[in-house]
Amino acid sequence: MKEHCLDIGSIQAFLDGELAHSESARVSGHIAMCDGCAVMLAEAENESAIVFPALEREFNSLVPTQRLWTRINDSITVERDAQPIWRKAWAYVSIALANPSLTAAASILLVVGIGVVVWTNQEPVGNDIALVSRPAASAPATAAKQPPRQIESADAGVDSDAAAASAPRQALNYQRASYQPTRSRERTDLSPVSSDARPAAEASSYMPGEDIYVKTIANLAKNVDETKDIVMRPAQRIAYERDMAVVNDAISKMQKEVKRNPRNESAKQVLYSSYQNKIDLLNSVSQKEELMASIR
Amino acid sequence: MIAAAFAALAVPAGAQGPWTAPIIRPVVIAPPDVHAAPPPPLLTDGHTSERAIAVDPNVNLSICVTQGSLKINGWNRKEVRVFVKDGAKFGFKVLEKGKQNDPVWITMTSAASKANPTTECIWGDEIEMDVPVNATINIKGRQTKTVIDTVRKANVKTIGGDVSIRNVSEGVLAVVYVGDVTVEGAKGGISLETTTGNILVFEAGPSEIGDTFKAKTSSGMISLQKVEHRQIEVGSISGSIAYDGRILNGGAYSLSTSNGSIRMSLPAETSCNVIAWYGFGSFDTEVPMKILTENISEGPVKRIHGLMGAGDATVKLTTNNGSIAIVKQ
Repeated sequence: MKEHCLDIGSIQAFLDGELAHSESARVSGHIAMCDGCAVMLAEAENESAIVFPALEREFNSLVPTQRLWTRINDSITVERDAQPIWRKAWAYVSIALANPSLTAAASILLVVGIGVVVWTNQEPVGNDIALVSRPAASAPATAAKQPPRQIESADAGVDSDAAAASAPRQALNYQRASYQPTRSRERTDLSPVSSDARPAAEASSYMPGEDIYVKTIANLAKNVDETKDIVMRPAQRIAYERDMAVVNDAISKMQKEVKRNPRNESAKQVLYSSYQNKIDLLNSVSQKEELMASIR
Repeated sequence: MIAAAFAALAVPAGAQGPWTAPIIRPVVIAPPDVHAAPPPPLLTDGHTSERAIAVDPNVNLSICVTQGSLKINGWNRKEVRVFVKDGAKFGFKVLEKGKQNDPVWITMTSAASKANPTTECIWGDEIEMDVPVNATINIKGRQTKTVIDTVRKANVKTIGGDVSIRNVSEGVLAVVYVGDVTVEGAKGGISLETTTGNILVFEAGPSEIGDTFKAKTSSGMISLQKVEHRQIEVGSISGSIAYDGRILNGGAYSLSTSNGSIRMSLPAETSCNVIAWYGFGSFDTEVPMKILTENISEGPVKRIHGLMGAGDATVKLTTNNGSIAIVKQ
């Protein structure tokens, strides 16, 4: 072990961070195993702790160390990044224009480009239009600013008014990125979008499957409300209403909890279970009525 | 409350055989008036009569009873005998005959009134029936106290009145709107339901692999003792649940109540996964359980998932408002 011990130079280089990564790892591994080298490292650290603060000003001001070079390079990088982009572009263009063949090619491209732009602006709106999605909820605001135009399909020549009447609501979620107002395609009234979107928003507030429970309960409750006074005596009504209150309370609490923390699977499970309890309770009234009717 | 319910399930010393099964005294939790069913029109001016008919041993008997105390007892004869005390004049109606010309499906008719001369419903102060032990009984009742003993299968639906069923070999279905349901020594698939009343079950089990046990009440407690089904689903809205028995390997047990406590009395060597959800209450166990996951932070739902033994079965316990306790037998 002794012949592999580190010399003080290596330890000092290790302390100064001058060793390569692999070498540094080897040295730290050896120090961890060797008590003698660990003592040497501790002594070197103590010496450095005394010497470096005393000489720091001299190091920083007089000696062009690696640290100084690093600072200079960092400053250059920052300054380069801060340079405006047009200045960079101009530098590239200047270099490029120094070559006559490149200059000629650029001139031809410029002329052709201008021609294409002029020709495109004269054509009626075609089928080469990008579709940009927009949220349905923002439709009224968009309509107030500029009448949006629907895109039912990418086929050219489709009469958009006729298609608008039959198109599914999802089609309203699209408009042209480069809008060209055309009188025949204007649509100012987007109220159906907002009214249709509202139930969709309500439905989306339910968890998967929850809306089925809610609809079922609503249907059952409607029937039971009409018949419960006939089917149940007052004492039974009290028990029924008490049970219903217990179930409703559980549902209310779980709904709040699920809204607060949608990832609470326990609350979801109890919520579904409570929905089922409510359905069973409502069903019991209906089934009792059926049984009473069958016993005549 | 639970302790009182178990105290009521006292087994008399020396009780043996199907005829001396333990006496179960239902525990009434709700106010007495809640158990009161709508009073039927009081039928008086009854007759006392008795009739009998030879039937197939596996006869299916459908009865409708509007009023009275109904007792059905199985015997080892190919015959149905009916005795009605102070009730309707009745007759048998054969709905279907078997290969040997014996009735395999019969019902009963009675003369209810001059306006409605025949009806499928009978009534009486006491109605006693003896049926083959392999008979299947289907009962519809309005206000009847029903006792069924030693038949193959029993299906009962009553609006009001307690139902007691014992020694059934191939399944029980009982739906009661106001009244207690008591089942003893029943085999097969069991489904018990009452809207306002308690459910008490003592010594039940499957007759075939896959038979399930279900019990549900809206207002009332559920007490199960020595139920040997592997799939048990028990639910109450306003009532406690008590389970005293074994947890079988591969079983799935679900006990839930919205407002009440759950108490399980299990052997010390029980092996199951326990998943407990509870809101306002606590969870305690005397049987050693290793907690796997636990979420008991503030909120309306707390959850504990624990392991007893090797975890050979699954037990789910849910109460929104009440405590959960697992005690050693």
